[in-house]
Amino acid sequence: MRFIFVTVGKELKRRFNDPGGLITAIMIPFVIGFLLAAVMGGGGGQPSIQARLLVTDLDDSFVSQGILSAFGQDQIAKMIQVEKLTLEAGQRRINEGDGSGHLVIPEGFGEAWLAREEVALQLTVNPSQSISPRLIREMLESLLDLGDYLHKVFGEELKIIANSLDGNELAGISTADFSASITDKVSGIAPLIFPPVMTVEDVTPQPETTSVSMALLMFPGILVMAAFFAANSQSSNFWTEKEKGTLGRWVASPNAFFAFWVAQWFTAMLLTAIVTAPILLAGFLYLDISFEKYFTSLGWLALTGPVLFAVLSVIQVLAPSRKVGGMISTLVMFPLLMAGGSFFPTETMPKFIAAIAQYTPNGNVTESLKGYLTGEFGVSGLLGDIWGIMAVALFLVLLAGLVSARKALT
Amino acid sequence: MIEVKDLQKSYGDLVAVDHVSFSAGAGRVFGLLGPNGAGKSTTISCLSGLLKPTAGSVWVGGFDLSRDAVKAKASLGIVPQELAIYEDLSARDNLAYWGAAYGLKGDGLKQRVDHVLNRIGLVDRAGDLPKKYSGGMKRRLNFGCGLVHEPAVLLLDEPTVGVDPQSRERLFDLVREEKAKGTCVLYTTHYMEEAEKLCDELAIIDHGKIIAAGTLNELRAEFGGNDIIRLAGSFELSSVEPVLVELDAELLSLTSEVLMITIRDGARNLSKVLQAISNTGAEIRDTRLSEPNLESLFLKLTGKDLRT
Repeated sequence: MRFIFVTVGKELKRRFNDPGGLITAIMIPFVIGFLLAAVMGGGGGQPSIQARLLVTDLDDSFVSQGILSAFGQDQIAKMIQVEKLTLEAGQRRINEGDGSGHLVIPEGFGEAWLAREEVALQLTVNPSQSISPRLIREMLESLLDLGDYLHKVFGEELKIIANSLDGNELAGISTADFSASITDKVSGIAPLIFPPVMTVEDVTPQPETTSVSMALLMFPGILVMAAFFAANSQSSNFWTEKEKGTLGRWVASPNAFFAFWVAQWFTAMLLTAIVTAPILLAGFLYLDISFEKYFTSLGWLALTGPVLFAVLSVIQVLAPSRKVGGMISTLVMFPLLMAGGSFFPTETMPKFIAAIAQYTPNGNVTESLKGYLTGEFGVSGLLGDIWGIMAVALFLVLLAGLVSARKALT
Repeated sequence: MIEVKDLQKSYGDLVAVDHVSFSAGAGRVFGLLGPNGAGKSTTISCLSGLLKPTAGSVWVGGFDLSRDAVKAKASLGIVPQELAIYEDLSARDNLAYWGAAYGLKGDGLKQRVDHVLNRIGLVDRAGDLPKKYSGGMKRRLNFGCGLVHEPAVLLLDEPTVGVDPQSRERLFDLVREEKAKGTCVLYTTHYMEEAEKLCDELAIIDHGKIIAAGTLNELRAEFGGNDIIRLAGSFELSSVEPVLVELDAELLSLTSEVLMITIRDGARNLSKVLQAISNTGAEIRDTRLSEPNLESLFLKLTGKDLRT
C-alpha cells in the first residue's frame, strides 16, 4: 500500500518536472473554450438560447392568465418561450424530452390564491437540461413572490376585479371610488417601492442574464474537457512505462501488478484536480459564481476524472500498440467531447443529440457538474455519489489491469 | 543462488529457450554468451518473472519463482538491456523510487541512494534529469537502479550496449565489486571480451540451447591446446580443404576472403601453413596467430561468427 502512494508521488513529480506539459494541459481547454464561446456569441452578453415552457392552464382564470402574460413580457420572453397545450400533450412532450419544463396550473388556482388558501403549481422539468429548468423555476418563484406582494397590497381590489369579470361591472363600488382606492395605495407605498434612485432597469434580474450567458453554458463542458485531456494523458502512461522498460522493473519487483493500476488511478484523480482547479477558479471569478460551490464542483471533477481515465485505459490496453491506442482514444474522445457538451452546450444542440449526450460518460459528468456549479447538488450529493463512481472506476481499472497484465509480461 | 532446470519458453512453434539448465552461486559471475536472438534475454526474462516459462523451474535466492514469487523477486536486482529509467525524474529520485519498490524507506533509503550515487559516479549530477545525461551516464544510472536495494542476485542483460569505454570500465568495476560482496551475478553479453574479463563460469547459447558450458579454461580445453591461425586474402575454396588435411589442421571458417584454422603448435607450424596455402594459388595479405578464445570456440561449435 505504501508503495502505491510512493508511486503516486513519483507520477506527480514527473508532471511537475515538465511544467510546460502541465501548463499546456490547463491552457488547451481554456483556449478552445474561449474560442468557441467567442464564436458562439461572446462571453457575457444576452442569452442565445431560449428555455421552452409547456403550460397547461386547467384554471383559465384571471390570475392564471396573469401568470402567462407575465411570461410574455419582453425581457422574460427573450429567455422563456411559453407554449400552451393540453395536460396529456404536455405530459407526453416533457416525457419525450421536448421542452425545458411543463407547468400545470390546477383548476381553482385563481380562487385559492385570492382567498390566500394554500395552493401549488406543478412544474415538471426536463432532467437532461440543467440551466433552462433552473431559469424557469427561478422566474416562476419570482413571479409568485411578486404575486404575493400584490395580494398583500391590492388583495381586496383584485377580488373585486376577479368578481367583476363574471358580471362585467365592478361589484358594489363605483369606478371612481375603485380608481381612487388604488391611487391612494400606490401613493402610500410609492416612496418604498419606487425610490427616486431606483429605475426599472435596476430591478431586472441581472444575475439571471449572466447565468445563461454562453460562457456559463460552456464552462462545465470546458472543465470536463480538461478532465478528459488529463485522463487521456495518464491513460497512455501504460505504454510509456512499457516501452521504457520501467514497467518491466515493476513486474520484476515484489509488488503486485494491480497496485500499478491503483496508483495510476489515484494519480488520475489528483491530476484532474490539479488541472481543473485553476480553470475552475478562473471561471468562478469571471462568471461571478459563489465560491461556496467551488470545492464541491472540484470534488466532483476529481471524482469523475478517474472514471474517464479508466474508460480510456481500457481502450489503451486493448489496443495492440501505443500508436493504435492513441488513435482509438482520440477517435473516441473527440466525438464524445462533441456529443457530451464540451464543444457545444447541450442547451444549444438539436434535441436528439442533446438526448444522446446524457448517455455519454462525459455528458453525464457535465450535466451533473452543472448541478454542482448551480448549487443544485452539494456535499451530500457528492458523498452520495462517491461510492457508486468509485466502484465503476475500480471495476474498469481492474479490467484494464487484467488485460494489460498479459501485455506487460510479453 | 540461481538454479535453472530444463527451462523452456515457446511462442507457438517457435522455441526461444530450449531445455536450458545451469546454476550459479554467491560471489560468482555467470556469463551467458551468445549472438543476438540466441535466447539470452528470454532466459533473463524468465528468471526475473517477466515471462512465464513454458516448462522447467527457476530458483532464485533459494525460492522457487513460481511458488514464492514475492520472496524470489525481493532477492533479485535487474538491469535490463533497455534504459529502464524515468528521464523526467532526477537520478536521486530514480534511485529512491526503485529502492522504495523493494521496501526501503527513511534514512536507510537515503543512505543507500547516496552510496549508489557515489558508486556509479553521479553524485555531482544527482539532481539533474537524466534527459540531460550522456548515454554512458544513463547506463550507469540504469545499473544503479538495479542494485540500490542490495540484491543477493543481480541479473545484467547486456549492460554495456552503446557505452563509451570509460563508462564500460566503470560498469566492469561495479560488477567486480558486487562479486566481491558475495552477490551472484548473471551476465548476458555477445561481447566475448567482456565474458572473458568478468565471468567465472560461462554458458554459450545459440538457438535457445546451451551448446557449451564451464569455466574459461574448461572451454578453451575444447581445442585440445591448439592455436588459431587467421588468414585474410583471397582463397580458392575447393583447393584449400585438401591442404588442411595434409597439415593436420582443423577448419574453423572459410570464405573467399578469410580462412580460420586450428592447429597444434601454431607458432612453429605457421610458415608451413603459409607455404601450403600459397601453393593453392591463394593470395595472403594478413596473418594472425592467437590462442583459442570464446569467439573461436563459438565458431567451432556453430560454424558462424559470434557477432553476426
